[in-house]
Amino acid sequence: MTIFTQFAETGAQSHGILGALGIDIKMLIFQIVAFIILVWFCGKYIYPIFMKTIDARQDAIEAGTKAAVEAERKAAEAKAEITKLMKQARADASEIVVTAKEEATAALEAAEAKSKNQAERIVAEAHAQLDKDILAAKKMLHNETLELVALATEKVIGKTVTAKVDSGVIASAVKEAL
Amino acid sequence: MMNQFAMTGIHISLGAETLFTVAGFPITNALVLGAIGLVIFLSIFLYVAGMIKRGKYNRFVGLVQWAFEGMLSAVDSVVPDKVVARKIAPLSLTIFFFVLISYWLSVIPGLGSITYNGFPIFRSLAADLNFTLAIMIITMVMVQVYAIRRHGVFGNIGRYLRNPFKDPLGAFEGFLELIGEVSRGLSLSLRLFGNCFAGEVLLLIIAVLTSYFSIATLPFFMAFELFIGLVQAYVFFILSLIFTSLAIDIHGGTVPEPDHTAIPTDHSPSAHLAEPAVAVRE
Repeated sequence: MTIFTQFAETGAQSHGILGALGIDIKMLIFQIVAFIILVWFCGKYIYPIFMKTIDARQDAIEAGTKAAVEAERKAAEAKAEITKLMKQARADASEIVVTAKEEATAALEAAEAKSKNQAERIVAEAHAQLDKDILAAKKMLHNETLELVALATEKVIGKTVTAKVDSGVIASAVKEAL
Repeated sequence: MMNQFAMTGIHISLGAETLFTVAGFPITNALVLGAIGLVIFLSIFLYVAGMIKRGKYNRFVGLVQWAFEGMLSAVDSVVPDKVVARKIAPLSLTIFFFVLISYWLSVIPGLGSITYNGFPIFRSLAADLNFTLAIMIITMVMVQVYAIRRHGVFGNIGRYLRNPFKDPLGAFEGFLELIGEVSRGLSLSLRLFGNCFAGEVLLLIIAVLTSYFSIATLPFFMAFELFIGLVQAYVFFILSLIFTSLAIDIHGGTVPEPDHTAIPTDHSPSAHLAEPAVAVRE
């Protein structure tokens, strides 16, 4: 307790209660002014640098977050678009395959029909040509036969005969020849 | 025990002691350590600001930036109006960092043993009532300035003085508010002074009581004092913000209490210490 009574006595003797607490008006005013200057200096020259960096970082974070949200939205849209396109592509592909199959079948059938017609035509032409050739050969053979008969007759008879003799001779010759 | 203290020659003074005078102005031991604290404060912040400006970073710069950002986010969360918050921020942040440095300087071992004319040369600035009263006066004046800006001169006076014939309850409430303003200011300054002064006395007494063993015991109390310093600086900081927030609030409006759990970006170690801080030595 001695200490506290000592404080009280000191205060009472010197400058009252304020003096006992160490409060000095001049010092108080000095400290107020000094602290205001410090706050002004820091607020003017130091803190703005810190705040600028913090605000810039905050803005960057906000921009990044917005960009991420936007990218997420765009990714979802792109995914939906891809799904839609894939669906459309599958449908188109199926249609194309069906059409191709139909066209291929039709082309095959057409080719088959055309080949058949062409083959039939070739066979018919070949038959016609054969008939022609046979007729021509027969005709040629007939003519040659006639010539041979005539020659043979001339040699055998050795004279010109009448039409009636000729016919009889020829007929007998032919008959013999056959 | 008191006699024992008296025999050991412990020197305890409530007020800062005058070491010498310059043109009649007293240079006290608190002022000396305060000037050293000011130099440290400005050195740190000018260095970090310069590094940030040049785009160079290291761990120390990151640490200071982290602490600054934490405190700034606390300002933004307590004061809803961001424009006002940014105007208040320089005062609140300077109070926090300067008080913290001044408080922590007093914990340096052996500081009290350096004497001049029988008085210790160094004493924490926060253990000088002149300083705590000075920052309290500045804070309370700024609170009133922001209140006048928000409500107008008569609107602000109307917070305290109301017609008792028209609104007797409101008049009483205003009177209580006026007393509240004074008591808030006084408690603000006396709390900081009391804690810092008590801390210095505590360290002194522990050193005397434990004698040669103080080399083992004092570090724990010093660590405790560092913690208390952080807490007290934060308490002063956050209360000054709350007073401003209360003053600029519209009549009958709801003022958000400082919800420390709702400060997701505040990673400062002091962010959640306001409540226990008040309870530590009150």
